[in-house]
Amino acid sequence: MPSSDPIVLETHDRHAETEPETEERPLTFEVKNLSIWYGDKRAIDSVTMDVPSNAVTSIIGPSGCGKSTFLRSLNRMHELLPRTRLEGSVLLRGQDLYSTDVDPAIVRRRVGMVFQKSNPFPTMSIGDNVVIGLRLNGVRDQKFLNERLERSLRMAALWDEVKDDLHKPGTSLSGGQQQRLCIARALAVEPEVVLMDEPCSALDPIATAKIEELIHELKTKYTIVIVTHNMQQAGRVSDYTAFFYLGRLIEFGPTTKIFSNPSERQTEDYITGRFG
Amino acid sequence: MLGTDKSMIASKHILGSFDEALASLRNNVLMMSGLTERSLDRAMKGLFQRDDNLCANAIADDEEIDQLEKQIDKDGVDILLRFQPVASDLRRVVSAMKLSSNLERMADQATNIARRARKLNRHPPLPEMELIAPMHEQALSMFKDSIDAYVREDVELGRAIVPRDEKLDELNRVASRRLIQRMAEDPDQLRGYLNLMFIARHLERVGDHATNIAEDAVYAAAAEDIRHQPFVAST
Repeated sequence: MPSSDPIVLETHDRHAETEPETEERPLTFEVKNLSIWYGDKRAIDSVTMDVPSNAVTSIIGPSGCGKSTFLRSLNRMHELLPRTRLEGSVLLRGQDLYSTDVDPAIVRRRVGMVFQKSNPFPTMSIGDNVVIGLRLNGVRDQKFLNERLERSLRMAALWDEVKDDLHKPGTSLSGGQQQRLCIARALAVEPEVVLMDEPCSALDPIATAKIEELIHELKTKYTIVIVTHNMQQAGRVSDYTAFFYLGRLIEFGPTTKIFSNPSERQTEDYITGRFG
Repeated sequence: MLGTDKSMIASKHILGSFDEALASLRNNVLMMSGLTERSLDRAMKGLFQRDDNLCANAIADDEEIDQLEKQIDKDGVDILLRFQPVASDLRRVVSAMKLSSNLERMADQATNIARRARKLNRHPPLPEMELIAPMHEQALSMFKDSIDAYVREDVELGRAIVPRDEKLDELNRVASRRLIQRMAEDPDQLRGYLNLMFIARHLERVGDHATNIAEDAVYAAAAEDIRHQPFVAST
């Protein structure tokens, strides 16, 4: 504290610093005691985890830890593989996705997905690739389709690059553009959630940066869950991070906490590159 | 989620060159702290033993310490660029760079003390030198303990150093008041008293830097920011 004696040179004053309050976000997913088997192999082991809304949640972990299976369980995509079995529950805004009266096709419309390798339909034009989901759902109104096409491509930050080439094949685009096309295709059916399974692993740094910027913009409207092997990417794009190991959720928390001071030794070992 | 004991995180990285870079950074910090301690010791002995050679050695030490500061900053930036460290690794790099900055400033204080000591050595000794001895003892013990806290990642020791700065501040206040009083009573020795007052101030600053190092040691070991807390309990 400053002295009353002006000639005595003093230490710097110390100021109180308040801790930021923890923000309570609404939840998009509530995963409770989830276990998934492929045949006899248990890929996910008793995972309980909430996914906050309008935020980016990244899932990290070594290969085979179950992160992609977990991601796919959020829109029942894992069921496309044979001999899968699931226990526990996945609630999407309070509704159990695995209830017997829920149609998996409806789930996948509400929860879109973008994959590691961009996969535009090879025989379709750029424009048709974007609106194929709507067409398959019976939408025939061309004006509506055109509006949704432009809006989806704008949201995917691709409109300016392709607006004069909508008739060209989707496969004529660069890898990064193809991935954004796939994101536009996912957005066209107006999902509530976008799941991304290593969406940048096949892209160069510039295309990666564009996707990351896009993820940042999309979270104002969507809940995003992304699986990534790139921990710097998880640190850059996500608000929350979950670390999986051997099918179990080891730690979940704000990304800044996970990457600065994780609570679990296994998390620390993995993110610092000490994992054997 | 329950925390686990991470105090023993010391296993090697998969990337051996990362371990080597971190070890080299740490070794340079330790070398720099050793040189800083030596410089401070020489400056204070130069003062108490009225030895200009020791003062000159203290001043000469500063050059090497300055170079180490630059080297540590360069190595730290290189590690950030090449390895993108996170968690405890990131904290270790950041704290090493902050430590080097504090050590460099401490060494500057040692140089300042040595310069003031040389001026004092030209004149008969002042009995008020006795005011400086307890300040030196307090500052030095804080410095050594702060480095110990950093080296051993001893959170409790680091935390305990912060309130000890208050005692050093109080000793500085007492010394300043006494020296101001002596300036009025004995204006012929005004320059000498002023030099002692500055030396007291330099030692007080050494305590501040030791406190900073202790705070960085706690951050490195426990990811806890204990700076600028208004009510730190004395221990």
